[in-house]
Amino acid sequence: MRPDAPLLDAKDLVRRYDMRRGFLGRAVEVRAVDGVSLRIERGRTLGLVGESGCGKSTTGRLVLGMETPDQGSVSFEGQPLPSPGSAAWRAQRARMQMVYQDPLGALDRRLSIGTQVAEPLEIHRIGDRAARVQDLLRAVGLRPDQAERYPHELSGGQRQRAVLARALATEPALLVCDEPISALDVSIQAQVMNLLVDLQERFGMGILFISHDLRAVRQVSHRVAVMYLGRIVEEGEPDAILQDPAHPYARTLVSAIPHPGRRVDRIILQGDPPNPADRPSGCAFHPRCPVATALCARETPALKRRGDGRLVACHLAHRDEALPRKAA
Amino acid sequence: MAEAPLVALDGLTVAFDGQPALRGIDFAVAPGEAVGMVGESGCGKSVTWLAALGLLPARARIGGRVRIGGQDLLGAPAAVLEKVRGGRIAMIFQDPASSLNPVHRIGSQVTEALALHRGMGGAAARAEAKRLLDQVGIPDAARRLDAYPHELSGGQNQRVMIAIALAGRPELLVADEPTTALDVTIQAQILDLLASLRRETGMALVLISHDLGVVAEACERVAVMYAGRIVEEAPVTRLFDAAAHPYTQGLIGALPPIDGPRRPLAAIPGGVPEPWAMPPGCAFAPRCSQRLSACDIAAPPTARMDALHSAACLRAAPALRESVPA
Repeated sequence: MRPDAPLLDAKDLVRRYDMRRGFLGRAVEVRAVDGVSLRIERGRTLGLVGESGCGKSTTGRLVLGMETPDQGSVSFEGQPLPSPGSAAWRAQRARMQMVYQDPLGALDRRLSIGTQVAEPLEIHRIGDRAARVQDLLRAVGLRPDQAERYPHELSGGQRQRAVLARALATEPALLVCDEPISALDVSIQAQVMNLLVDLQERFGMGILFISHDLRAVRQVSHRVAVMYLGRIVEEGEPDAILQDPAHPYARTLVSAIPHPGRRVDRIILQGDPPNPADRPSGCAFHPRCPVATALCARETPALKRRGDGRLVACHLAHRDEALPRKAA
Repeated sequence: MAEAPLVALDGLTVAFDGQPALRGIDFAVAPGEAVGMVGESGCGKSVTWLAALGLLPARARIGGRVRIGGQDLLGAPAAVLEKVRGGRIAMIFQDPASSLNPVHRIGSQVTEALALHRGMGGAAARAEAKRLLDQVGIPDAARRLDAYPHELSGGQNQRVMIAIALAGRPELLVADEPTTALDVTIQAQILDLLASLRRETGMALVLISHDLGVVAEACERVAVMYAGRIVEEAPVTRLFDAAAHPYTQGLIGALPPIDGPRRPLAAIPGGVPEPWAMPPGCAFAPRCSQRLSACDIAAPPTARMDALHSAACLRAAPALRESVPA
């Protein structure tokens, strides 16, 4: 572990799947993740936003080593991820945890909450389990006596708290949260977002917060990356992106945020999200883009840093900038 | 509401196996207006309209009165209900893929509705089906008539559902979480479509949603529901400027802001009470930060602030508003 290295550094991740169309169809290659690089610092949160099928969940699994990238590398605390299934990988899994969308599906219905929170402590042989379970439940806002309860006896918000307590049991340095609030009611979403921010302040873990909801992402993240069809198209500070999104897709997402009392000129995109198996040439967004030019259909724009530090992958967003450096 | 209501619910109650799900809903929809019904899961916002249209299973005990243009719907014979459902009131649901029949072509599902409600058949029905698909913005409508639901995207399937709903020329469209299963950019398309259809056809819209933001954009008036009751009703702008019920205030406070400094959200503590453990007084009292001792005694009556704004809260009652410190 090198203290100066970022907590998580993923470079040029590519993940392909073969998809067969129909019973005897030819296999088509689908690039779920197509060259994604991201970095998460200790105690900071990176929000990953995009629509279904953009590859954000696959990216989450890749950085946890639950899937092996076809290209690219992931290093955690300065060390490359050990290969999945090895003893070193299992030991490292204690340092990285995942929280899913549906807490009921993530919990075992036949085991009490206390047993499930204690399980990672047993697996990773961490001592004084009873006291630790009590502490963990208190940390996520559950009562210690609720350790005896079964998942169906808790409300949706309490279940997600139990999932968080279990994820935190091994004191992970990195938490990947994949749509952790989407299945919850509005008032409960706010509770869980507050809790995540709170827990991060106390325990200092880095968080990858995957969500389709830009409002939620702004609330919890220090940086935001917007994904479209397997690539990051814009990355920067949440407020900067929300106030002045540079990529036309990011602009659409921001204008689509339903917000009371703010009737803005909404950008209505034409067409449906593209099929990853049938990726458009050039910039994948160009068929839906209101400002696309001929260049956009030919050349894939690289994710480049602008003068203000924002990373944008758009030919037009860089036009006003000084001559871009030659693409590497 | 100056006009005679199109649909009026009076004291509508629903109970499943003795557990109340709706505890007296009084609500009216005027011709052509767009109203939102907001609340968290289990608050009864969907059950209200399923009950009104006779779509609940037989074990549901329904009480009260539902009228459309003077005609009673509760306990009406099946023949009457079938004319109303799809004819005068159409309903669309959250998941379009499970509402469409996967083994029938889109065209035949639209023409089925045309045959039922407008007695159309053959080439005339097919031409009308194509027009409807055009109207809901499905590109290449003539060819799409022969497609199966799995060949279309989620957003397009929801458009097909809307086309089927429009087939009977309804006076009211009840849309139950119509965009919840869709991506945000597609949600924007569907909300835009609903607004333009309302302008074109003059039909009324009831939009059921858990998302105050969505309702605020698509509707003129909102009813907020909690634990089987309407706790507040107001025009959209009024609701956001001067919410009277602490639950509504809580819902608005729980929305993450899109600008300004980031601070902890004003989350409502606790969770919705279970139907078998309803508090004796106001159902929201156990979570309420402004609770009075009187709140635990009886469910608060609906207090009227003005002709359009009402709230079921003791603190909203005019007599109390002056005497109780904020």
